[in-house]
Amino acid sequence: MRIEKDKQEPGQNRIAAQAVGQAAAQNAVARGKPRTIGVQPLPPFRRAFHIAVQGIRIRLGRSLVTLSGVALGTAFLMSTVTAQFVDRAVGRERELRRQVDSMVNVLRGQIGTVENKVLTVFVCGALSPEETAFLERIRSLRPAALRVMGAGITGFDSVSAPELARDAAAVLLLGDASSCPVPLATLTGDMLTPLVIDSRPDREVQYGPTVRREVFFGPQSEDRRLRETQRAVQERYRLVWIIAISLAVTVIGVANALLMSVTERFREIGTMKCLGALSVFIRRLFLIESALIGLAGSVVGVLTGTLLTLMAYASAYGVGLVFGAVERGGLLLASMLGILIGTVLAIVAALYPARVAARMVPAAALRSTV
Amino acid sequence: MLDKTANPGQLLRSGAEAVAGGSGGCRAASGSPHAGVSPDALITAFIGAAGAGDTRSEFVIRAVDVRKVYRMGDVETHALRGISLDIRRGEYLSIMGPSGSGKTTFFNMIGGLDKPTSGKVYIDQVDIAQLDPYELAWLRCRKVGYVFQTFNLIQVMSCIENVMLPMAFAGRSGEEARERAMQILELVGLADRALHKPAEMSGGQQQRVAVARALANNPDILLADEPTANLDLRTGEEIIALFSRLRDEMGVTIISATHDLKMLKASDRIAWIDDGRLSRVSAAAELEIAVEEVH
Repeated sequence: MRIEKDKQEPGQNRIAAQAVGQAAAQNAVARGKPRTIGVQPLPPFRRAFHIAVQGIRIRLGRSLVTLSGVALGTAFLMSTVTAQFVDRAVGRERELRRQVDSMVNVLRGQIGTVENKVLTVFVCGALSPEETAFLERIRSLRPAALRVMGAGITGFDSVSAPELARDAAAVLLLGDASSCPVPLATLTGDMLTPLVIDSRPDREVQYGPTVRREVFFGPQSEDRRLRETQRAVQERYRLVWIIAISLAVTVIGVANALLMSVTERFREIGTMKCLGALSVFIRRLFLIESALIGLAGSVVGVLTGTLLTLMAYASAYGVGLVFGAVERGGLLLASMLGILIGTVLAIVAALYPARVAARMVPAAALRSTV
Repeated sequence: MLDKTANPGQLLRSGAEAVAGGSGGCRAASGSPHAGVSPDALITAFIGAAGAGDTRSEFVIRAVDVRKVYRMGDVETHALRGISLDIRRGEYLSIMGPSGSGKTTFFNMIGGLDKPTSGKVYIDQVDIAQLDPYELAWLRCRKVGYVFQTFNLIQVMSCIENVMLPMAFAGRSGEEARERAMQILELVGLADRALHKPAEMSGGQQQRVAVARALANNPDILLADEPTANLDLRTGEEIIALFSRLRDEMGVTIISATHDLKMLKASDRIAWIDDGRLSRVSAAAELEIAVEEVH
């Protein structure tokens, strides 16, 4: 049974192939060849896709090994990234708590226990989150009275202005303003002990002659904060380096596995070339195979890496804190990026093996060994 | 049912005639960079000088003083030392030779799987050394069908999908390809196993599927590399009988590299290759072939 005429696959390939065919035919005629040899068109993408999928199915075990290699690399990447996210979220909380603790400790160091003492607070400027939390903490420590004066502050004991500092154990200055328009000189006269604790060491205030002035955050704590940020930066560089190395190892491992696979499949590749497959087609085949494995592997890796890290942190800090405080949108974006990176790296790993496969000779189908 | 007269190759050729503007060689296309080539040069590019315009030539493959040298560092290995052989259209040729004789190398040359270091191989009057990769792929897809000693079927695909694979490379797919694949499977007697995978079939059946795959695009030439080596006596005979049928009914030229004496009885001609040279070519009728039998 014959086919009367060649029915080409529809689509752009036919047009492209015809164009190539016409050019080749003209060339052939010019070179003195009869036009009985045609030009093999490149099959459409889905053909390569179909065969690639089957290629994975044939060696599911080997594909799973490669897949887990990609999964491990991306899992490590994502666990580090997730840890960063959690640290940032939870760390803020912890840092806040630490600051508040330190402020309370300074206060206690000056006046002893807070209970049953009178405290006056002047808020100059905007309150930082630490200072707000600090006020809440002071209130929970049950002072006899906590008088807070400042723009927009409510919820604390209110008293007329001259009485503000009466019997106060200490006057606290909070807020970020660089100067405080409080007539401290007159007020501190009413205090038990003329003590002012300021949250900003450089604030311009009018003090009376007998006032003792302390600060919540001394120069040492400033230094400490500076050192800590430096350390954080160093940590980040080290982390980036470790991640880069681990990803490089993953790529090399995947490339090795794929190269082994290509060499073992010499007969299959040779046979396909005998059936008319073009080198470009073979290359495309292996790149698609690797992309699919890379995609699957990175999805698995991202999921396990992210979720396991989140759970590990949740068991340490509490589920509510971790899952509530973490920046969900950012983490999702990072996950998508992780999947993309994993897939791209798998394709990069396949570039050389695919080239080796494409350059195999059809006579390889006849060989009995590699 | 099986038409042996017309063939897509012939249709293409008559199309080529129309393009070339008649018989007696090809004109250089006007405006091409080679417009200055002399007609003589063009004609001598065709062996036999029969011109491109006439009907199919008597010789489907011509090897002219084919040599192959492998260089590994300083060592030169002469695999082929000048073999000339003309293979007629529609004949059943067996190539025999001990291992290391260059039989497989020569086989690769005439099958379009490799190019000679010197000398020429003409497949259907076309010098294969002048073909670019796209044209070579076309040749392997449409003109030559390959049958291997190890069957080389794709394990994950069913039989009919295996047969349809070369059609896919040729740009044919869909229902029409499927019908044709079924017909070819009927021809080799395996229509009822169309949906089975190769692993579910015996060696003989797998080889028959491989033959069906080789026939998928209606090739002029069937190239078989030791097709019966992995088969037992009876299934080997079945394959040989199938080859003979293909030659008789479809006019396919069968070229087989083999050690199998059974195949010699079915062949038209036998060529012996020894130490890179063609030591002997005889018609099978001239030979006395005795195959021992066990009772």
